[in-house]
Amino acid sequence: METYIVMAVSAIFVNNILLAQGLGSCPYLGTSKSMDTAIGMAMAVIFVLVMAGAATWIADHFLLKPCNIEFLRTLVFILIIASLVQFVEMFMKKSVPSLYAGLGIFLPLITTNCAVMGACLMNINEEYDFLTALINASFLGAGFGIALILFAGVRERIILNNVPEALTDTAIGLVTAGFISLAFMGFQGLG
Amino acid sequence: MSKSIAREFAKGLWSEIPPFRLVLGLCPVLAVTMSVENGIGMGLATTFVLVGSNFLVSLLRNVIPPKIRIACFIIIIATFVTMVEFIMQAYVYPLYLKLGIFIPLIVVNCVVLGRAEAFACKNPILPSLADGLGMGLGFTLSLSLIGAFREVLGNGTFLGLQVFGDAFVPFGVMVKAPGAFVTLGLLLAFMNLVPVKK
Amino acid sequence: MKNIIQMVVVLTVLSGSSAGILAGIRVVTMEKIEYQQLKFQKEPAVRKIMEGSGMDPMAGRFKIDYQGRKLTIFPGEIDGEPMAAFETFGKGYSGDVGVMVGLSLSSGRIIGMGVTTHSETPGIGSKVKDSPTFVDQFKGEPVESGFKVRNDGGGVDAISGATITSRAVCVAVDEAGKVYGELKEQLLPTKIAAKDGSHE
Repeated sequence: METYIVMAVSAIFVNNILLAQGLGSCPYLGTSKSMDTAIGMAMAVIFVLVMAGAATWIADHFLLKPCNIEFLRTLVFILIIASLVQFVEMFMKKSVPSLYAGLGIFLPLITTNCAVMGACLMNINEEYDFLTALINASFLGAGFGIALILFAGVRERIILNNVPEALTDTAIGLVTAGFISLAFMGFQGLG
Repeated sequence: MSKSIAREFAKGLWSEIPPFRLVLGLCPVLAVTMSVENGIGMGLATTFVLVGSNFLVSLLRNVIPPKIRIACFIIIIATFVTMVEFIMQAYVYPLYLKLGIFIPLIVVNCVVLGRAEAFACKNPILPSLADGLGMGLGFTLSLSLIGAFREVLGNGTFLGLQVFGDAFVPFGVMVKAPGAFVTLGLLLAFMNLVPVKK
Repeated sequence: MKNIIQMVVVLTVLSGSSAGILAGIRVVTMEKIEYQQLKFQKEPAVRKIMEGSGMDPMAGRFKIDYQGRKLTIFPGEIDGEPMAAFETFGKGYSGDVGVMVGLSLSSGRIIGMGVTTHSETPGIGSKVKDSPTFVDQFKGEPVESGFKVRNDGGGVDAISGATITSRAVCVAVDEAGKVYGELKEQLLPTKIAAKDGSHE
């Protein structure tokens, strides 16, 4: 139990996948202009990350390792993630339309979110067992979500202010992200 | 004809230079540009993948059914990424160790998929090659520039060589994640000051 | 219908040729990659183990057959005492954990070892690598004594949070013990054997 708590603190705060490792910055900037989209994206990422974490772990241990074709890992993982996203989208549309209405438009974007692929590769590199891999994936996803929602909050306020013309939009967004990331660096003392 | 190819090549270096003009593919930009060397290595690896995937996508553009084109692009890109992994392991192993999981992550770099979708699948082979090469070199240039800023300020070195005297105290934060965000943001703002001729 | 067939065919051909091309490239680059790994991952471990060796372990390396596969041996000697280092593996969570074990060939005791991790993507290696106290537990012990982590009733303190990897290291060292037991003679560096001429 204790190790999982340490893992949670590490994945969410100390080694936040976005703010400390710089993974997943495209959707970070793309979907943070309003709180609603940020929350939608955060939920979709957590959801897909856990599913992808499970699927890639299974594929790695029961397909790639036994057949000795680990060199195809990149190819297989990205295909799994892409088809998983597609599948989740179809499934959601049919059976949980209310959820689809909220998350649907974010799902296709997740395929090229490197936070998902990155987290799956990390799970494999860190040699986690199945349960630990799943838990780690969900905490990494939660860390991403928290960072995204925090950022959206700041960004909604920036839009209301006068920003020098050259700095508008993405540029000020990146600088803001830098400061949030700086704030998160304070957590490194915990490790 | 040759004029338009030159234009496709040149646009990647200035008017549409990723990630400044086309704000895509930020993950490697933020995550690996701790030093110039990393920037150049990552940039060239991405260039290889871009040129390769643009070429193949353009070659197969009439064969690939539109409905599953994204899946096909992804297979093509992943193939080239794995190739780069092998090549880097065989020839520049220390750099491969430094870039670590970011080499396989080229596969989810939106610049590569973006060029396949927006350019290569609609254009013949030569312009697609030029586009890939231009975009790739532009990307390399940007990565090295950001890497240069961060390495000089955060570590006091350029390509591993000391640039300042002993009195210089590096701001370590520049080589960490916050430095990446701020450097990119400020460079982007600077680029915005310089207008693009239409 | 025709569309679906086309889709399936295109996807199959594409993935098939992709896997084929990659397998081909892998075969071509394999030897080079092996050498690079030898140079950058194994050489530091070997050098550390063989500190003060009279002969260059990298230059003198040779291969022997062990259970149907090639094992690279790095020979050395300190004060005339022959030693050998080689890499063995134990099953970790994901693939093999590689351990470079250095032995004194006269006493069969471990003189040093280092974790090399072989198949893992580098960068985020295993925790064992950063823990010298774990590795030091093995130093000076006879290699054939049979190692186990404390949880399994042995005498090796596992690294907290990395029991499986620690166990894998023990398995790898035991494997090294087996190699020593079975192929003791072949581990002697050929140069030394030739020099004193007693192996006619």
